[in-house]
Amino acid sequence: MGSGFWHNLRYNWRSGVEAAWPFALLTLIAIVLGMPFFWMLITSVKPLSEIIIYPPRFLPQDVRLENYVEAWNAAPFDRFYINSIVTGVATTLLQVIFALFMAYAFVFINFPKKDLLFLAVLATMMIPIEMKLVPNYLLLKKLGWVNTYWALIIPPAAHAFPVFVLYQGFKTLPIELMDAAKVDGATHTQTLLRIVTPMTRPLLAAVALVSFVGRWNDYLWPLIVTNTVAMRTLPIGLAYLKDTQEGGNRWNLLMAGSVFVIVPILILFVFTQKQFVEGITSGAVKG
Amino acid sequence: MSVNMHRIRTSWHKNRREWLTFLAFVAPNFIIFAVFTYWPIIYSFYLSFVRWNFLTPNKQVVGIRNYARLMQDDNFWEVLGNTLVYAVSVVLIAQGLAFLLALLLNRRVKGQPFFRTVSFTPHITTTAAAALVFVLLLDPKLGPLSHVYNFFSIQGPRFLASTTLAIWAIIIVGIWKEIGFASVFFLAGLQGINQEYYEAARVDGARPFAILRHITVPLMAPVIFFLMVSGFIQATKVFDLVAIMTEGGPVYPSSSTYAYHLYQLAFRNFRAGYASAFAIIFFIGVMTVTLFQLRYSKRWVDYEE
Repeated sequence: MGSGFWHNLRYNWRSGVEAAWPFALLTLIAIVLGMPFFWMLITSVKPLSEIIIYPPRFLPQDVRLENYVEAWNAAPFDRFYINSIVTGVATTLLQVIFALFMAYAFVFINFPKKDLLFLAVLATMMIPIEMKLVPNYLLLKKLGWVNTYWALIIPPAAHAFPVFVLYQGFKTLPIELMDAAKVDGATHTQTLLRIVTPMTRPLLAAVALVSFVGRWNDYLWPLIVTNTVAMRTLPIGLAYLKDTQEGGNRWNLLMAGSVFVIVPILILFVFTQKQFVEGITSGAVKG
Repeated sequence: MSVNMHRIRTSWHKNRREWLTFLAFVAPNFIIFAVFTYWPIIYSFYLSFVRWNFLTPNKQVVGIRNYARLMQDDNFWEVLGNTLVYAVSVVLIAQGLAFLLALLLNRRVKGQPFFRTVSFTPHITTTAAAALVFVLLLDPKLGPLSHVYNFFSIQGPRFLASTTLAIWAIIIVGIWKEIGFASVFFLAGLQGINQEYYEAARVDGARPFAILRHITVPLMAPVIFFLMVSGFIQATKVFDLVAIMTEGGPVYPSSSTYAYHLYQLAFRNFRAGYASAFAIIFFIGVMTVTLFQLRYSKRWVDYEE
């Protein structure tokens, strides 16, 4: 919001009230919706004495960047980061690869009653995760997977949403291409890897983004399947910081910790938002 | 029957390669679904008829006693009520605001991409972090609202210390996260409306509000319906916000929700059977709403294609 912002406001104002009010209203909405980010950021650099004064100041007088170092040391954030990145990346890759093969099979390979099988896939999206918690926990305990990366990666690696989005995308591909590949004697694996995958790369990126953000932000599943601090992911690590001696009620450290959690995802979003929004809307509006 | 078997056997011979490829391609997902989704559903039904604390080797079968007890459990009704209040409020308020936001964004205002990004960002923000900052924001002394309260010389509400307001603190965050998300769908819908309808209406001299009421809203009905129902189902699963902001308090379960209470029953009180009965009721509720959606989206709603 640089000089262009003020220019727009003035420009719109001059050209009549009609043109100005939507812009002014949107600005107000943006301020309200953006306030939590602003408050998080300024609180994270305030000394504690400036947080508890009343009424609170909007801009800190004393900027303490050391808060970030203190927050980093108050809880094992290095572990949380490693856990979040490893499990987030691994689950996303598996989700996309598994969905790629499954969606291809449902669109391009003949199989009796495959419509029914596809319904069975879509039905998994209706099952609330709460319903699966107790049996899944017991199962993981039997497998010896509780508190391991296996538990964080494998069960969420199968997801119907990417299958559905890719299925919709594959159906729009020109059928002549597939026939040409068949005539050339290409196997399904070759067709998938050499023709379908390159042609749907933007869609794959979109699906991967949605998957990754979902894994990164997930709270319930890692809370259930891990039980030591060293195995926690970032969101649960943040809640852990809140409950420790070092972090409890020290809002500057808690906000610095919150910044640790959301910054990677915000950066990712800013650069990829077009694909991201396509990822979540495709298959929904036109469903 | 034998003719049928014969036909399947010959087509198996003819299509063996094709079918085996299909099975190999769908196997990874189906194996995981079978182990971690299909089987748990069946097992949940079984568990809901037993009494068990996760530890003893034997599960005591108690029939429908878990369900009978659940009906008389004040906590069940209270968390169910809180969850419905949360879901209905978030859907109606957030999606109402989202519709207005989409109408604004659809006017091709300068800076539209910027406003769209800002409004969508809450949706991708980690809920745990959002919950924490809202605890601070809603505080009557530490948050920015204290300036507003000061200006009017009133006592700001202490959301999280009040048994009636705590759930509303959670609702506020839910709304904040939902607005931009829903507006993306509304905007996509608005941009898909054929401009000829508007031109025809303008030629007839229709007022803007009449256009909104008689053209925009009816044409958007499919999107509105889809978003309301799926948003409602999504909202009933609220968990993180409760866990971080209130833990169901200030006096449990004044702000607890269904998912959070289920978690408490299973993993804090170790009542596997009773928690499973809770899960089954939830499952039935979600299925009912979903089937309602599938049925009426065909009848009332005119999807393109």
